[in-house]
Amino acid sequence: MSNKIFFLLVVILFPIYGQQIDIHSPKNIKKFADFLFCDKDYLRAIDEYKKYLQVVEDDTANYKIALGYSLINDQSNALQEFSSINNSSALYEQSRIEVLKSLSLSKSDSAFYLLANNLINSKSQFSNNAQRLLNTSILLNENELPDKNKFLIPFESDDKLLLGNYYDLKINPPYKSETVAGILSAIIPGSGKIYTEDYGDGITAFLLTGLFTYLAYTNFENDHQTRGWIFIALGAGFYTGNVYGSVASAQIFNAKVNFNFENGLKLFLEDKNYFTPAYDFCK
Amino acid sequence: MIINKFILVLISLFIQLSISVYSQTDWVRWEKSDPTYQKKDTHLNRDFDLSIQSVSDVIVKPLINAYWFFVSDVDGANCPFHPSCSSFLVQSIKETNPFKGTLMFFDRFTRDTNVFGRLEHYPRYGTNHFYDPISLYTLDKEKIKIIPTNTFINE
Repeated sequence: MSNKIFFLLVVILFPIYGQQIDIHSPKNIKKFADFLFCDKDYLRAIDEYKKYLQVVEDDTANYKIALGYSLINDQSNALQEFSSINNSSALYEQSRIEVLKSLSLSKSDSAFYLLANNLINSKSQFSNNAQRLLNTSILLNENELPDKNKFLIPFESDDKLLLGNYYDLKINPPYKSETVAGILSAIIPGSGKIYTEDYGDGITAFLLTGLFTYLAYTNFENDHQTRGWIFIALGAGFYTGNVYGSVASAQIFNAKVNFNFENGLKLFLEDKNYFTPAYDFCK
Repeated sequence: MIINKFILVLISLFIQLSISVYSQTDWVRWEKSDPTYQKKDTHLNRDFDLSIQSVSDVIVKPLINAYWFFVSDVDGANCPFHPSCSSFLVQSIKETNPFKGTLMFFDRFTRDTNVFGRLEHYPRYGTNHFYDPISLYTLDKEKIKIIPTNTFINE
């Protein structure tokens, strides 16, 4: 009988005790939000931080909301949240460089250049970061570049080498001329494609044009007029098609040069996290 | 006591009966089906359209439709590219003009004949085709969108 009473007591007391822990207390909401944030579940973390901020004023939580939006690439909300951090906060300086990153990603060029110059002139601890981001963006988006040595000053030695190469590529991109490609293929079929580094296509074009020209020649020589004209038409088709294709090939080559340049610089920026500071929120 | 037992038996019978009746409403599960294990190939979705929208359609469309019906569909999907060479011709004429479209086709045919270096040159379409859209060859720089070669484009 006493065992039964003990068992009943345990069964009744557990839920009663369980109800005493307030899982919705601000402290626990923040704890859960921090867990979600460090688990990279930013969207749910933002919801929890917002719940937490209804009760408590905390600029770190505010900052994490903004950072969460930035990390899920919702730049308009990130900009709004970062802008709400006022200059009395310890995270104000960081928020300015994060705003610069968001402006860069949201392609707001005029606002980006304005803020970048403000940050550089303000001599804050992130002035150099702003200068690096500004220079890389100029390299990515602008046609006129500053002097190379001046351009590379804010970067570290490893980055100087890499960005120096990109600088040279921007000044002298290894484009192929469409006109040259077309003329080369008009003189020797396929040579335009070899010029644009489509070696296989170039050799194939040469062989096809040569084959049909030879077939046309031998058929005319043996008085097979109809077959001769058919092969002439096919040979002419491959010849003109190749001249056209060589021009198109040069355009594609140049588009690939641009693509590789932009892609390389974007990967560099992502690798450097847009020169934003590293955080110890999840240590 | 006997009445109670009788009611219990009745209730349990009712429950068993209603469960078995309810389960039988899902007839679809037990009906005969004709599953097909043939792999769907959207690459061969032909647009057998003979409507005349331009002068070139009078010649090109009957020729291409005849080629698809009598040769290509019988022979199978042997063109390594997407769109296939015949579809490329139709699309390029539609996008540009008959002269330019024909030049684009001859250039495509040259690429089709070259069997070397395709893997390093083209992105992949579906499981066994190379993606080579006409937008790259219209000589309109704005239309050129580079897709890295190691990209797989789903059908």
